[in-house]
This record gives sequence, C-alpha cells and structure tokens, in this order.
Amino acid sequence: MRERDADRVDNLDRLVDRYHLVENLESCLQCGKCTGVCPVANLSPSYNPRQVIRDILAGNKDRWLRSEEIWRCLWCANCYTLCPMDIPFPLLMMQLRYEALENSYGVKYFLPFRRFAMRALEDGLTFTPGGARGRERIMKLRGRIGLKPWPDISEKARQEYRELFEATGAKAWMDAIKEEEERPVTLTYLQGRITDAKKKGG
Amino acid sequence: MQRKRVVEPEEKIREIPGSVFLFRSCTGSLEYPGTESAVTETLRCLGIEPLTDPDQTCCSGYLLTCSAHTPEVSLAVTARNLALVERKGLDTYVFCNGCYGYLKELSHILLHNQEYLEGANELIARWGYHYAGKTSIFHVQEMWYRLKDRLAAKVVRPLNGLRVGVHYGCHYLARKYDILDDGGYPTFHEEIVEALGGTPVFYKERQLCCGYAVGRGFTHREEVVQPHLFKKLRNARDSGVELITTVCPGCNVALDREQPNLRERYGEDFRIPVVDLAQLIALALGVPAAKLGFEANTVPLDDVLAKLGISE
Repeated sequence: MRERDADRVDNLDRLVDRYHLVENLESCLQCGKCTGVCPVANLSPSYNPRQVIRDILAGNKDRWLRSEEIWRCLWCANCYTLCPMDIPFPLLMMQLRYEALENSYGVKYFLPFRRFAMRALEDGLTFTPGGARGRERIMKLRGRIGLKPWPDISEKARQEYRELFEATGAKAWMDAIKEEEERPVTLTYLQGRITDAKKKGG
Repeated sequence: MQRKRVVEPEEKIREIPGSVFLFRSCTGSLEYPGTESAVTETLRCLGIEPLTDPDQTCCSGYLLTCSAHTPEVSLAVTARNLALVERKGLDTYVFCNGCYGYLKELSHILLHNQEYLEGANELIARWGYHYAGKTSIFHVQEMWYRLKDRLAAKVVRPLNGLRVGVHYGCHYLARKYDILDDGGYPTFHEEIVEALGGTPVFYKERQLCCGYAVGRGFTHREEVVQPHLFKKLRNARDSGVELITTVCPGCNVALDREQPNLRERYGEDFRIPVVDLAQLIALALGVPAAKLGFEANTVPLDDVLAKLGISE
C-alpha cells in the first residue's frame, strides 16, 4: 500500500505549528486558489502559498526558511478568504518567519520592526514619531482640529504594556535575535528582484 | 463550515446602543488624526456617545504580524484591553481594519483555547483585570451601514456626484465569517457613498490590498509594494476615481503617502486624494472641513473640496 499523507506528517505541530493555530493544514486540497488570488504570487511567481503548504507537509520546510519569498507575503489573507478548507495560511506564515529568524534568516526584515516595537514599549502606541519635531507637528495638528495634543494614554497603560512584554518573554525573544549572526536568504525568482531602480534627478 | 459568512446589518447590530467604547487607533490618531475626530463627530451626529479610556493601549497586532514579537504578549494585551471594556458593559468599536482583524483574531484564539485564556488572564490578574469574552467587537463602518438611512437623512452637504472609489481593506474582508460581506464582491461602502450623494466607481482593482500590510513598505517597497500599488492606482485613475476612501488608517498611509514615490519611479502623477470613509461622511453631514484634519494628507483635497463648494 502506498503511504498516506498522514503517515508522512507525524507531529506536524512540532514541524512548524508551535502555537497550534493551523491545525487543519493537513486538510489542504492543493487546489491552488490561494495562489491564484495572491497579489504577491502575481508579482513574484516563486512565492507560491500552495507550494509552501505542500513542502511543509512533505517535510521540506527548510527551503522556505532560507528563502526571501516568505518575507514578501503581505498578510492580506486573501488566501484564507478563498480557502475551501479554511486554512489560516497567514498564521502559518507568521510561524515560518519566527523559525526563520531563530535560525538567523531574514533578520534584516525584522530589524525595523524591532525598532518600532522598542518605541512602542515606551509609548503604549505604535508608530509614534521618533523625533521631537515630528511629535510637535502632530501635536499642533491635533490641537488645531480640536483634539487633545497627544492621544489620551495613561502612565498606567504604558507601564502595564511594557511589563507584559517583559513578563511574556516577548522582549527577551526580540533581544535574542542578533544582527551580526544574519545568514543570507535566497530568492528563487531572480527576475523579481529590482536592483537597478532608477533614481531621477540624482 | 457551519458558521454563517455574511450577515445582515440588522442581524449584526440588533439594537442601536446609546454609547459605545471607541477603541483608539495609533495610526488613526497620530498619522491622520482627522480620522479620530471624524469618527467621533459622526457617531455623535447619529446619537451614539463614544467613550474612551486612557488605560487602553495599542492593540499590538500590527507589530505581531510584522513578526516583531511572539503572540503571547499580544494575547495578553488583547485580554487586558478588552477586560477594560467589559468592566464598562459596552461593545467595542474600532476604526482601523488592523485593530479589527487583530482584536477579532486574538480574542477568537483566547476564547477557543482554554490554555491561552488562562495564561493571559493570569498575567493581567496582577492589575485586577479579567477577560471573559463579553464585549463584542465591531468596526464603525458596520454602524455606518446599519444606519445608512439615518445618515442619508442628515446629509446637509451632498457629494454632488463626486466619483468615489472605495477601498475595503483586507483585514476586514478576510475575517471571512460574521461580517457584512465576504471577500467575494462587497458593495456596502458603495451604498454608503450613494446615500451621501456621491457616485461610487467600481474600479476593477478595488479589492486589491494596499500593499503596506505587515510592514512590507519598509522591507520590500521597490520589489513588491510599488508595482502592486501602481497597478491599483492606475486602475482607479483610469476609471475616473476622484477620491479614494479607506476604513483603515494604515491603508490610508499606503495609498496616500506612496503617490509621490510612484510619480518619481514611474513618471505618473495620480494625485488621487485618499481619506477615511468617516471623514467623507462627516463632511457630508456638515462637520467643518477644518475639524477633519485634511492637512495631514500628502495628496491635497483642494479639487474635491472645490467640487463640493467648500472653501477652507
């Protein structure tokens, strides 16, 4: 008798789904609707959600961890919207990216967000302007249209937000990813890479 | 698949509440603060009092999906924020698709996984919070649609046939269940535009993602985001769209702020202003333009305001 899929994917959760968020991955029909509707697959054909699932189920996950493709996903979740089996593909992508980072792949695609997160830890808000001038500009604008100059957020809120990052180990996880240990990612579809963007007037 | 995908607005919001908890959006308060005031003003016009709480923090979902940190913290932050609302006995209304998607998804995970719920509650118990899942999460656009006729009756400044192209945003439609329309072919924004006296434009790429999703604007701007946005905006322009509306301040950033860069790269100047749907509603309801913060926009609204006969 030929092997069944289930024989090949023992302990799927340990393979990739550590948070138990994509437990129906094995139900994938390989119908490819996800890829047909994916705006990134449209621009960068080597990014293929259907193939990602197939490879993971076949135990061939590492090629994606080492890839640049997984960092292109826009998380629009169109794949999930169309999926006849309700596979929450973005939650799979999220966990693939964690694993890539823990293996030092894609670190450059993580660093800007760690910087944002560190600032969010101070403010309790994301995307606050970094410099004093940016802050002043927004406070003036808010004031002019009749809002409080700064969003109404208490010291208690900011403190508790910060403490949750410490208490859950989220901050330690972020700190453990080292820029200097970064390993290069590969992009299969080289034509998709734009290396000679024309700079006008420069 | 027993759950219902698309629900009627009357089914979604059975009774119109006298007050709601308005969940602060970081981008909607800092990048385009006019969104915050437009939502507040519009709710008041409809006879609904928006209440806020300074103890509410960022939903933390955006950086989670950017892979900046792991989910444990976002689950705890969600439990904490929603516990605050539960104490007030109110439902939660957000004005950002990001907040909507993340609060819905994270609270769903909490309420369907005993271990996650207990873990989060244990963490927030130190400050006396407890989350039990009693507050329902809505996007304000659901209220706009539910009260579309009430809105239409209150229009004092009709849109004069302004050609509006709507942008629904992925993180609303991708909820897939229990929303006003699924990702198939939603029309409820267009119906709202029509109720305000505008002309909705069904441009082909209207359901295309804004492209800034989970930070790719910071990491893959030239390779993915710009070609993607160029396709969307070119299609909107060719269909005669004069104004784009969003229901997510994040989408607003992508569609508005990126236009000068697209001009630089592709040599095409779209100059299509992008505002929040609430800003357009507030304008039609007669809220002074000076209160709606259009000066935060990269692409100015001068032509649109002139067409509506508004001089600032």
